[in-house]
Amino acid sequence: MVEPMIVAFLCTWCSYTGADIAGISRLKYPANLRAIRVPCSGRVSPELIMRTFDQGADGVLVLGCHIGECHYDTGNHRTAKRIPVLQTLLSFVGLERERLRLDWVSASEGERFARIVNEFTEVVRELGPCHWRRFDQTRSMAVDNTLAFGAKR
Amino acid sequence: MTISAEIQAKAAEWLTSGDVACVVGYERGTHGRTRPAFIYQGEDVARLIFDKTCTHNLTTYLPQLFNDGSLMKATHKLAPDASIAIITKPCDIRAINVLIGENQVSRERLKVIGVVCEGILDGAGKRAFVECEPIYTYQRRCRSCSERVPLVYDFLIGESVSPELVQEEENLRGIQDLTTSERAKYWLAQFDRCIRCYACRQVCPLCNCPACLYERDDSLWVGMGFGVDEKRTFHLGRAFHLAGRCVGCDECERVCPMGLPISLLNRRLAQEIETMFGYRPGIKPAFSPLTSILQQEQGIP
Amino acid sequence: MTMITRSALFRWLDEMAEELPLIAPSYVEGILLYRQVSKSSEVAMARERPVLSPKEVFFPSTEVLFTINKNGDKLRLNETLPVKEQVVFGVKACDARGLSSLDAMFIDTAPADPYYAAQRKLTTVIGMKCKEMGETCFCTELGLSPDDPSGVDISLAEFEEGFDVQVMTQKGLDLLNRYLQDGADFYIDRSPLSGCTDATQPTRVVLPEAKTFPLLFEDAMWDEVAERCLSCRICAYACPTCRCFDIRDEELPASAGERRFERIRCWDSCTRNAYRRTAGGHDPRAGKGERLRNRIYCKYYYFPRRYGQLSCTGCGRCIDLCPVNIDITEILRRIVEVRQFP
Repeated sequence: MVEPMIVAFLCTWCSYTGADIAGISRLKYPANLRAIRVPCSGRVSPELIMRTFDQGADGVLVLGCHIGECHYDTGNHRTAKRIPVLQTLLSFVGLERERLRLDWVSASEGERFARIVNEFTEVVRELGPCHWRRFDQTRSMAVDNTLAFGAKR
Repeated sequence: MTISAEIQAKAAEWLTSGDVACVVGYERGTHGRTRPAFIYQGEDVARLIFDKTCTHNLTTYLPQLFNDGSLMKATHKLAPDASIAIITKPCDIRAINVLIGENQVSRERLKVIGVVCEGILDGAGKRAFVECEPIYTYQRRCRSCSERVPLVYDFLIGESVSPELVQEEENLRGIQDLTTSERAKYWLAQFDRCIRCYACRQVCPLCNCPACLYERDDSLWVGMGFGVDEKRTFHLGRAFHLAGRCVGCDECERVCPMGLPISLLNRRLAQEIETMFGYRPGIKPAFSPLTSILQQEQGIP
Repeated sequence: MTMITRSALFRWLDEMAEELPLIAPSYVEGILLYRQVSKSSEVAMARERPVLSPKEVFFPSTEVLFTINKNGDKLRLNETLPVKEQVVFGVKACDARGLSSLDAMFIDTAPADPYYAAQRKLTTVIGMKCKEMGETCFCTELGLSPDDPSGVDISLAEFEEGFDVQVMTQKGLDLLNRYLQDGADFYIDRSPLSGCTDATQPTRVVLPEAKTFPLLFEDAMWDEVAERCLSCRICAYACPTCRCFDIRDEELPASAGERRFERIRCWDSCTRNAYRRTAGGHDPRAGKGERLRNRIYCKYYYFPRRYGQLSCTGCGRCIDLCPVNIDITEILRRIVEVRQFP
């Protein structure tokens, strides 16, 4: 059984620090997590998330500051609106909305961070591997590239 | 006077008086097909027509015309304060509102000839239509359109109409009823046919970025190739960038040479935006709610 | 000429489809395209031409040129030339002419393109003569004929009882002898075409004289005819002779501690924004008029001067598909008019 790959976008000022606190407090959370630090959750754009799924992530977690606590005042306002819309779009084309989760974690909430990561990893494990991954699909339109060229990736 | 004659008269009036430097309208082209026309002289107005085959959303040319031709070199280089007249249907006017809201178009330099619209025929722009043939069907967007009179105009042509409407399908061609994996299969089959010709993007009035995110030389967000995953990313990304901005003219779907059901993506998001924010793009000049901060009354998700 | 019955043809297609990639016109959600088929029932014996030309079989929309393995500073290049034999069925005269136009550039002019050349060598082309011309077809105006059998290995013509079989090359003869040994008597028959079977009047086209083109380079007509152009790529991608491409290195998933890349080439179009933009930002074809002029000149002036044949087969796809009715025959008529009344 292949372990799910979870990519988390953590904002510098809140959730990344929260993750740090979780580590310092020796709180356990699954090693499936790959953390990517961004200046603000507002930086997380749809193309970034789709690229992440394309590259093989099974689940994407976006964690930002609570509303009203954003270091840049309103960066997380955009995130709050955009992620649900992106979830709807992805769900419409066959990617379960549970694979993308938005939540808020402040700099001191180490326990909250660990809990969210644990929950999310379990949900994604239930869903199984994500078939969004690149190279599962053929490329050429007239002929299957691998047939024509005999070359395998 | 027929609608075409009224349009020709108004265009001639504005061009000869110098009120406008250019009239953007429709003409009959080759093989009986309707196409966009740019009229600069009074004596050319006889080319202008308006009927149920005028499918194009001419507002797509406005950002170019207003940007001193930086994206396009106009034959007659327009003076910086020159006005432009445009023939528009109600759906096109909504695009103008969004463009005004986003500062891509200047309302003062625009003279809008709004036409009351009975609907546009399926196949318009791609074929000739014969008078004596049996009844043609209207395009899907027209069959459920409740906005027959333009919201904004400087000159209105046409009598008010109330055609019989077809209820918009809630489940978007059945996709909402499919399971997740059925949906994935359906959409992969659609995106497989895409040839990244970008006609959908080029014809869209709201897609006017000088450089598209999905066409970067460094393949940052998506590769250059014609893989299904790459094409999916382009279409989804484009639909997302249009959320709260797309006015539903469906020209993207009409121009697609491969028959991709592109409008389904935009309509799904339009539904979502309306549910979440109570907002419909193009009713007045404004930004998409996705670009603004949360309002006091909105709950935190 | 010999003939085979309809059922014999379908049996032959079925047998081929089982052994090698058979690419034929097939309906994909209502759109007629060249696609790999697994049985003869998937082949559409349609009157119309497929929306795209068969050039994508020989010049794929995305092609891997080679892959690169990178381990620290060490690089290893891996060849990815085509190796598999295949058959394309149902190719019309205009599309066959398109292949010969691509041959003139990709193969006949040194250095030959090894990918295209290999694909051409490995592929047997079975043509199908047209019995009538479409509304936008104008192949006859360019010296072609809907039932011209040149450019394919085997040319078929449908009639009531079955299909006439005209073998044009040794490759075609070999394919027939491999699959149809039941008494049919095949031989190479490069006899001239029998004459156009259709009475439909195609669009009238007068090709401008070569000297007209340089004289019209700076003319104002280009900005005017291109004003409604959307700068999409439909015309170039659907065209059987357009062959511009872009090349890029992109990363693949790493494996066994090595980074992997592939060098791919993809279709491109001179009509798109920034096609001709050079490093430093200078763009000699920043305007749509300049790009449309280049498209016309490439097809009717530059390519013939360089390679001795037109880069247009009169198939009419660009006219069918252009969302704003930019009609290449109208432009040619306009060129001739402008020169008559300068």
